[in-house]
Amino acid sequence: MSKLDTLLTYAPDLWQGFFLTIWLTILTLVISLPFALAVALVRDAKIPVAKTVLAVFVNIFRMLPALLVLFFIFYGAPSLGIRLSPVTAAVIGMTVMAVAYMSEDIRGTLQSVDQRQYAASKALGLSYAHTIRRIILPQAIPVLIPPLMTRAIIVMKGTSIASFVSVAELTAQASRATSISFEPFIFLGLAGVGYLLIAGLLAILQFAAERHVRRRYRLKAGY
Amino acid sequence: MDLDFSILLNVWPALAAGAATTLKLTGAVLLAATPFGVALALLANSNRPLVGASIASVSWVMRGVPPLLILFFCFFGLPQLGITLEPFASAFLAMTAYMAFYFAEIFRSGLASVPAGQWQAARALGMSPLRTLVRIIIPQAIPAALPGFVSHATEILKGTALSAAVAVPELTSAARRVFAVTYKPFEIFIAAAIIYAFLDGLLLCIQLIGERWADRRRNRRAG
Repeated sequence: MSKLDTLLTYAPDLWQGFFLTIWLTILTLVISLPFALAVALVRDAKIPVAKTVLAVFVNIFRMLPALLVLFFIFYGAPSLGIRLSPVTAAVIGMTVMAVAYMSEDIRGTLQSVDQRQYAASKALGLSYAHTIRRIILPQAIPVLIPPLMTRAIIVMKGTSIASFVSVAELTAQASRATSISFEPFIFLGLAGVGYLLIAGLLAILQFAAERHVRRRYRLKAGY
Repeated sequence: MDLDFSILLNVWPALAAGAATTLKLTGAVLLAATPFGVALALLANSNRPLVGASIASVSWVMRGVPPLLILFFCFFGLPQLGITLEPFASAFLAMTAYMAFYFAEIFRSGLASVPAGQWQAARALGMSPLRTLVRIIIPQAIPAALPGFVSHATEILKGTALSAAVAVPELTSAARRVFAVTYKPFEIFIAAAIIYAFLDGLLLCIQLIGERWADRRRNRRAG
């Protein structure tokens, strides 16, 4: 078989893997963002017991390899009588990791907002929820975009570990095609291009989001 | 679910051997990637635009694709070029190549935090560029670069789990093998998690020691 034939044989598999990688990335990001925001707000609001429990969980997960967390969920769930498909287990594992890291990113930006704004809002009689929604978040969002997009790229790269539990995403498809055809450079190279494409898309998205926020909040360039 | 940690009495040698391999791989990558990172940071800062641009583009590729893909490239791709590496060696090579570019970014911002006037002052005093770098610039860049360096060192530690994909017997793959024999997912993965947390703690100690060293050094100079 010529190299072109080999490429054409496995191209549909790689194409599917590419879309599964995008799908896993979007799913993980969309699910983890609200949880991360909630974790960050609970820890920021210093709610007594919840704050400590969340801090312990966040720091435990940040210490562990994502792969170990994934194995824990994938192999552990059946012992609790829960059957998870590989994709579900992978999304749960990646979401847990993403929430841990993302909540720290969000907490960092919440703290970058001048803390006296809380006191000022309280003095004006605003409720805590109102203060967060109308005063703090609008100031935190512009600062939050760069770390959040960096995190999105890390999540995208992290989806490759789903291949360990037989999810047929891009890396899994590329390594399968490689081990059958012995053409590592074609397929691993193509997979690399696929990941760089998604990273490039995310970078464009970051640029667009930053411009949008600058206009919306009438910030000076370079904020 | 009842946890029975007495199982660990039988399986601890396997986990200990895995932990030793993880530690060996982490240490080797840390020792190799650090000098490469410094070299890349210095080259990227040099006045040759072509060198800077080519490092920037390679860095973009290496930081845009999953480390697992780089690992497969070293393990499956290099034999086609006549370089056949053992699993441990290919994991070492892949992670060093990957982390060197992250380290380069950290060192570059560390070097940038030292005012340019220091270079000029050292030159006015007749110091050679190498001596200026080693005696003047790097000691001042270390405190700025240390937190990023240590947090990426823990990324190396956590990243070694990926080498399970090419059958390196490190901690996560050892845990999975022990699980496959005993079917005790929680006990074994929790034990592995505790070992990872301990190793993370060791790396944080390096940061504390480094920060105290930098503080002492600064105080001595001031006094």
